Amino acid sequence: MTRFLLRKAPSVFFVLFASSIIAFALPRLAPGDVAVVLAGENPDAQTIAAIREQLGLNKSPVLQYADWVGGLFRGDLGESFLLHRSVASLIGDRVGSTLELAVLSTLFVIVIGAGLGIMAGSARIGWVRALLDFTDSLFVAIPSFVVGLGLILLFGVFNRWLPVSGEVGVLQNPAIGIQYLVLPSLALALGPAAVVARFIQTEMATMRKAEFVDLAVSKGASRRRITFRHVFRNSLGSAVVAVGLQVGHVLAGAVVIEAIFARNGLGQLAVTSVQSRDFTVLQVLILGAVFVAVVCQLFTEIILAALDPRIRLGE
Amino acid sequence: MTSIEAIGRARATRRLNPTVARYLSAFRTTRGIIGLTLLGILVLAAVLAPVLFPGGYDQQGSTSLTGMSAAHPFGLDEFGRDILTRSVYGLRIDLSLIFAAVPLSMALGMVLGLAGAISERLGEAVQRLFDVVIGFPGLLLGICLVAVLGPGWLALFLTILISGMPTAGRLARAAWLSQQSREYVLAARVLGVPKPKVLTRHIVPNAMDSIVVNGSVWMVIGVYIEAGLSIVGLGVQPPTPSLGVLLNNGLRFVTQAPTYLIGPALILVLLALAFSLIADALNEAVNR
Repeated sequence: MTRFLLRKAPSVFFVLFASSIIAFALPRLAPGDVAVVLAGENPDAQTIAAIREQLGLNKSPVLQYADWVGGLFRGDLGESFLLHRSVASLIGDRVGSTLELAVLSTLFVIVIGAGLGIMAGSARIGWVRALLDFTDSLFVAIPSFVVGLGLILLFGVFNRWLPVSGEVGVLQNPAIGIQYLVLPSLALALGPAAVVARFIQTEMATMRKAEFVDLAVSKGASRRRITFRHVFRNSLGSAVVAVGLQVGHVLAGAVVIEAIFARNGLGQLAVTSVQSRDFTVLQVLILGAVFVAVVCQLFTEIILAALDPRIRLGE
Repeated sequence: MTSIEAIGRARATRRLNPTVARYLSAFRTTRGIIGLTLLGILVLAAVLAPVLFPGGYDQQGSTSLTGMSAAHPFGLDEFGRDILTRSVYGLRIDLSLIFAAVPLSMALGMVLGLAGAISERLGEAVQRLFDVVIGFPGLLLGICLVAVLGPGWLALFLTILISGMPTAGRLARAAWLSQQSREYVLAARVLGVPKPKVLTRHIVPNAMDSIVVNGSVWMVIGVYIEAGLSIVGLGVQPPTPSLGVLLNNGLRFVTQAPTYLIGPALILVLLALAFSLIADALNEAVNR
């Protein structure tokens, strides 16, 4: 485990380092003086001077970068000069909403992905298989926002079953909150779930040709037992990899899905901070998103190794 | 007469580059024909938009947010503008973006992916850079570019350009790695064929098939990138219509006039379908 992490460390650090450079460079690449850019509309000279002082813009870029990253490590995420609030509190207010969305979508990805995958991987009737294949291809091909628009039309406009705009915290009011959460989570989850299903189906098809399946058949094991005990269990590894890789997509899709369903999460925060050119907020969000994606990928590989003793991390 | 035609046709195909002929054979399959026809209709409509809708996309009327009607198949928007007209004009922006960005993205990606031919270390370095691009999930790259450049065509163009490059680059590198030690490549090099020529004659044709298929897939992703960024308000800026802008606006009035959303979405889906069919047909043709 330690050896695996050590071996992985250079490439992970490089991606994080490069992203931090990009995030750091953003306000400095935008046209105009950094302090003026950060101060927002109609700033007075005092504010600009204060920002210049606070960010140490008179120092060399290397020192500025070191200060910024050092601050991040100390838990000081900076301050939004537009909203006069700390970035940490802005993110803290929104993180719950995105987290709810991410958790339920991931659950959907696992349940729907495994369900569809197992069905497609064990269906024997021709047209059922074809239907499942078609469903899979459809959801692999269309992006989350088109699914979201479809769900809005189906369940919010033609049938007024579920609310399609806004949100209620699940922790404050579970019964109502979940109603607001279902459609956006589904919209985010269906695409990745179809990819996961594809993985499982392919893997199960390969497993079925294995000799131990023939043996199980000759011993008279039931179909169900063969499917779950022998075929699916051995396909779990690729299922985990697929889910892990898709979590990154779930997070990326959250930006658009939050906008479509008018949810006030981190994606919306990123969008509004671009629109108002609130770079100190945006920098942290970008670095955070890359960080989460990288960590998800690492976790995936670790879980994979834990599931399958044949894979030894770092050997 | 027919035999002469047949000979003529045979000559014509013989003169074609075999690679090109193989790609063209994709458009003799059902999928290829449907995809190309669909794309042809959409491109034609977009190109002829000023002729088909001489009033332009900004012609306002007194009634607004109507549903479907014979005169206005997608209805009228909040300012009484015809949504079909706006969708076709919007299509122009989307098509101009992907036709400009995707081929360039694939070409640049391929060249960068072949950097390993100059020096192994350079090739590795380029791959690490690609890792960073891939590490920016989804629209994050677009958000960064919009933050710096401001929203608009250029930011969208660069987002599609940059995010497509790693895919082509990896395919090109895979071709380089798998072919560089083959006998025929070694033979060419022993014979003193200069490296650039080895690349263009032997490596690029090997990478070409997968990159062409990948490119046609990226045409769809390009449209999705435009739509995604425009839906959140960071893409094309209204009143200029693009498919994403129309979806954004349609969503706001979805309960009053669902066709406002359905119309542009239909065009988006048809465009995506056309490119998916073409990608499938090409994929089949190159693997035949």
